Amino acid sequence: MRWQRFLLLLLLSFWISTCSDNNVEQISVQVPAHIKVPEGMVYIPEGEFIYGHAEDPKTALGQKVFLNAYLIDRYELSRGEYKKFRADVPIAPGKKKLPVTLVAFEEAREYCRSEGKRLPTEQEWEKAARGPAGGKWPWGSYQPHPNNGFSGFLPEPVDKRQEWISPYGVYGMGHNVWEWTSDDWDYNGMPGSEKEKYKVIRGGLYQSHLKIDFSPTWARNFMEPSARYNFIGFRCAKDVK
Amino acid sequence: MSGLRSLLNRRSFLRVFSLSAIAWLWPKKSAGTINFQNNKNIPANYVQNRDVPGFYIRSANPFLGVSAQEWGLAVGGMVKTPAAFGYEDLFGFPMVSQVSRLKCVECWSAKAKWEGFRFQELVDRVQPDPKAKYVTFKSADSYYESYALEELLRPRVLMVLRMNDQPLSKDHGFPLRLIAPFKYGYKNVKYITQITFTDTRSRNYWADYGPYSIDGTIQPGIDHPLDYEKKPLPINGGEVFHFFDPRPASPKTRQ
Repeated sequence: MRWQRFLLLLLLSFWISTCSDNNVEQISVQVPAHIKVPEGMVYIPEGEFIYGHAEDPKTALGQKVFLNAYLIDRYELSRGEYKKFRADVPIAPGKKKLPVTLVAFEEAREYCRSEGKRLPTEQEWEKAARGPAGGKWPWGSYQPHPNNGFSGFLPEPVDKRQEWISPYGVYGMGHNVWEWTSDDWDYNGMPGSEKEKYKVIRGGLYQSHLKIDFSPTWARNFMEPSARYNFIGFRCAKDVK
Repeated sequence: MSGLRSLLNRRSFLRVFSLSAIAWLWPKKSAGTINFQNNKNIPANYVQNRDVPGFYIRSANPFLGVSAQEWGLAVGGMVKTPAAFGYEDLFGFPMVSQVSRLKCVECWSAKAKWEGFRFQELVDRVQPDPKAKYVTFKSADSYYESYALEELLRPRVLMVLRMNDQPLSKDHGFPLRLIAPFKYGYKNVKYITQITFTDTRSRNYWADYGPYSIDGTIQPGIDHPLDYEKKPLPINGGEVFHFFDPRPASPKTRQ
């Protein structure tokens, strides 16, 4: 009887796993032969994608936008990687894989430059997160809230959630830190006094106790470029030549 | 006439008069007697949690408040010249004021004009060791809090002596409190008695007794401002500014 029960449980678990729609269908991308994709980066092919969402007036409302091909970091930049650039930044033992935080916009940009890269534009960030079909969540479906009740921000290793992968194979687009982009904050009807004061940040905070509403791929946020907070990090992008 | 006379006789007049006087003198349920106490078991004269309209009061450990005559501030730890201050001494520092919100981790926020001095003034006075990267605060009610020194030197952080053009009330942290507008309210320690510079970060009260982080940076999410009927408004993280709040001047992104 015991082995029958075990078999039953095994079959049940198989059945449950087939019911899960958490799998994100990966887009098969053909990288042109003349392009060498650096380690740790993902090639995003040229083409249209759906930018923003009609229900969010501070986005591009779901219009189709064409982008040339580009490269983007597969993961958010880790503290260990940033330490190679800024030796004076302390890292607590065992925290090397956490995303780098407490970096101002210019510091993030400087790091990317030092690697022969740049910060992604907001459009590049969003296309890498949702793919050309305009998915709401980077990983394909809504996930239950993993950290209810804690007031602070709990970063995770940048490669921890392997199941939370975008259609192009990019991680950390809907959780962990918010990420600096190169764009100024702007929206329809924005007062002139606000222009050129803030930078767009995208991504994050899926694991905080605050609203899950921030995690859709089109959700936008903004920040003063001088801000250094524990919930802001970055990743880099690069032109394709 | 005889009916009216009986109505207005001395006895009925005295009855009506005495009842009216009693009604007038009877203690009313006014703001002064209710005091908006959240916990009626705590003596009313204690500093405690009160949902005062416009600006809620939060205090972890009920106590009677601080007497200026008995209060002193000790600043020490890894410093070259430890110092002690009386209440009047603190007014010798250059005073600055700002309007900023106190954003509680309970989701409400309230705005006030705060006046005090920069933390840099204390740093200049006691000259901390370069290895002292952290600061611990202790309060008159046994509360404690910790910060990275760098955070305390940010432009909008203020050691506060006055609120809305009045000396701090005991409910709001008399005689000295911290205002760090990019941190949740529980980080904005009140009734400060001791400041210690250290080379390692210590924990804080609500990390030890509640589900709150040591860091306490305000996260992006939703706020319910008391001066906007607690209607939900999105916040981008860090110091809270709503669409009706003037922001301090900040440099443009393109210079």
